[in-house]
Amino acid sequence: MVSRDLVASAKAGDQAAFEEVVRETHRRVYSLAYRLVGDRAEAEDVAQEAYLRMFRGLASFREEARFETWMYRIVANCAVSALRRRGRFGDIVSDEELEVPTPEQPEQRSADSDELSRALAMLPEGQRVVVILKDVYGLSCREIGDELGVGEGAVKVRLHRARKRLADILTGGSDRAGEV
Amino acid sequence: MPVRCEQVRELLPEYVDLGPRPAGEVERHLASCSSCGAELAGYQRLLNSLEDLRAVELEPAPEFLDRTLEAVRQANEPGRVLSLADFRVARQRLAQAVRSPRAGYAVASITGAAVGATAIALLWWRLARRAVSHGAL
Repeated sequence: MVSRDLVASAKAGDQAAFEEVVRETHRRVYSLAYRLVGDRAEAEDVAQEAYLRMFRGLASFREEARFETWMYRIVANCAVSALRRRGRFGDIVSDEELEVPTPEQPEQRSADSDELSRALAMLPEGQRVVVILKDVYGLSCREIGDELGVGEGAVKVRLHRARKRLADILTGGSDRAGEV
Repeated sequence: MPVRCEQVRELLPEYVDLGPRPAGEVERHLASCSSCGAELAGYQRLLNSLEDLRAVELEPAPEFLDRTLEAVRQANEPGRVLSLADFRVARQRLAQAVRSPRAGYAVASITGAAVGATAIALLWWRLARRAVSHGAL
């Protein structure tokens, strides 16, 4: 966790402090970006863009909020923009089966996270983004809706379907995963 | 009216992260139905595993950190016009635009128009030359 003092220094314009924030968080930021976009080079671009946005927007960060949540929201916003530019994100409200990237395998470390990552990769983009932001990174449905430009209700519907589908995939019902 | 397993199972993906609730039909069903109880436990395990995934950090390319720090430094320079990230994003957008079917149609149209214009220009040039040579005669 990034210390409040470090964030405060960075916010006050201390360039070295912001660089320290980048050093401390770059793996976490890259990991989220990669889980959302499913491509290493694109995840690096997303992460870099997110840091530039953080750097420019740090003055508006309210210190009573959690820095990590603010950081994850910016990464999510950049990732969703990248997915939309690729035309892969589709309509968040509809539940069409969209093209799903297969994450490159050497990234993962444990068998459990491997299995889970593979299952996540089988979800349609809209569901995957929601379940990653909510259940892995702890953002609220409202925060996710704000980043995706949809209502909280639409996020909850996506989350419900994503969890159900993930459970199906993990219990061997992946053949049902494509059903809407 | 007692709830059925199908009704309860439909609720479980959301029910799993609700806090303690007053005992109702769903709770009574879960307490008495081992199959639905097991499914709820499965969702609880799924949520725990997803939460644990956050601690699994992935390793970016070795040069990523330096490149990002450099981009941040450039962003802080007065009079800066574009950052490395801006160039990378622009390059990426250009590559995506070139790969899109719409860009393919545009390229085909422009190529067609250029070929047509060249042919007309050549024809016009040859006719003009012929007219000049006829005039000279």
